[in-house]
Amino acid sequence: MGHVLTAVVVDDAALTLEELAQACAVEPDWVVARVRTGILLDDSADTHGDNAAGWRFTSADLVRARRLCQIERMFDANDDVAALVVDLSEEIRRLRVKLSAAGVK
Amino acid sequence: MEYKDYYQTLGVAKTASDDEIKKAYRKLVRKYHPDVSKEADAQARTQEINEAYGVLSDAEKRTAYDDLGRGHQYRAGQEFRPPPDWGRGFGGGAGGPGASAGFGGADSDFFADLFANLGGRRRQAPPQRGEDSHASITIDLADTYTGAARTISLTVAERDAQDRIFTRERNLSVNIPKGVTAGQQLRLSGQGQPGAAGPGDLYLEIQFRPHNRYRIDGRDVYQTVPVAPWELALGGEVEVTTPSGKVNVTVPAGSQSGRKLRLRGRGIPGKEAGDLYLLLEVVLPPATSDKARELYQTMAREMAFNPRAGG
Repeated sequence: MGHVLTAVVVDDAALTLEELAQACAVEPDWVVARVRTGILLDDSADTHGDNAAGWRFTSADLVRARRLCQIERMFDANDDVAALVVDLSEEIRRLRVKLSAAGVK
Repeated sequence: MEYKDYYQTLGVAKTASDDEIKKAYRKLVRKYHPDVSKEADAQARTQEINEAYGVLSDAEKRTAYDDLGRGHQYRAGQEFRPPPDWGRGFGGGAGGPGASAGFGGADSDFFADLFANLGGRRRQAPPQRGEDSHASITIDLADTYTGAARTISLTVAERDAQDRIFTRERNLSVNIPKGVTAGQQLRLSGQGQPGAAGPGDLYLEIQFRPHNRYRIDGRDVYQTVPVAPWELALGGEVEVTTPSGKVNVTVPAGSQSGRKLRLRGRGIPGKEAGDLYLLLEVVLPPATSDKARELYQTMAREMAFNPRAGG
């Protein structure tokens, strides 16, 4: 096998605001607006102060942000409606994993 | 490459208005959304629909695409080469819903070859850094127990000496860190799309290949273990092949089929390792021989057992 590239798990080296924006092909302001309204980042993070440079985003945040972006673009949806769709989508995926783990096809 | 009929993909006429295209797109993208659709190819259909809309919703790309088919009767799937001067006079570049997800195999070769080059020739303001790319990698459960190196194949965009973008297949060998779980993202620095100030990064989403013995929920792993009726009734040690190797497990006497045994810390490794759950499932020996039938008859006679008693 040739040269093996080193992959880093995003959760071990969580993304900064700029890195998340770049990964989603959006402006950092798009991310900031959704953090401020509680759509991105969980309640444990300090999302109200002036510390956006200190925010760190996990794999789950990246997946969620990309889905939000996709729904907003697909349907010209506003951010709250997109967040509702993504919340429901995440719940469906979570329940499907539970069903699968329980052996339900 | 094969010709793609984007109008057929969206089910609209070539004369469809922007509103008609948008309406058709939204209807289809809802219908085939992977969280909603029961269709086996929902993911692929969604990508096709996004790709078609990415072109037909962009006035410049639509005009360029229409120009491509003018005077020809291309059919979807037909082998096709764009004319050498196609795209001259059209500006813009890859963008919109289709292109944003394009790199890494989401878009077809048809789209990538046509619109990457279209963008490459007419590029006005090169991005400071190449875009990040996204793809998924499917691994076996065993890979996360030990870590592994796996090779993935991606369609990547590169620039030639004339600064034109072209696409090619690229194989990447990637280390899979021990302890990764489904949905986690691996980041490969500098493996994204090319850019004037350096390439973007590549993100790979971890998916597990379905296994007929193991099921996964986060870091917890579930495994069904077939057991004989006497192993449940009398208890004892049974040997079980788990993702981390063979272990001897004590089945408590008097267990019922469906009992769940937890092996703490034997799920997916990590700072907080998951657990391995063994679901005991009774398998009856077949009564196909005289001896087996006689044993069942003796049990029926001697045990006076009625599983429906009381209910």
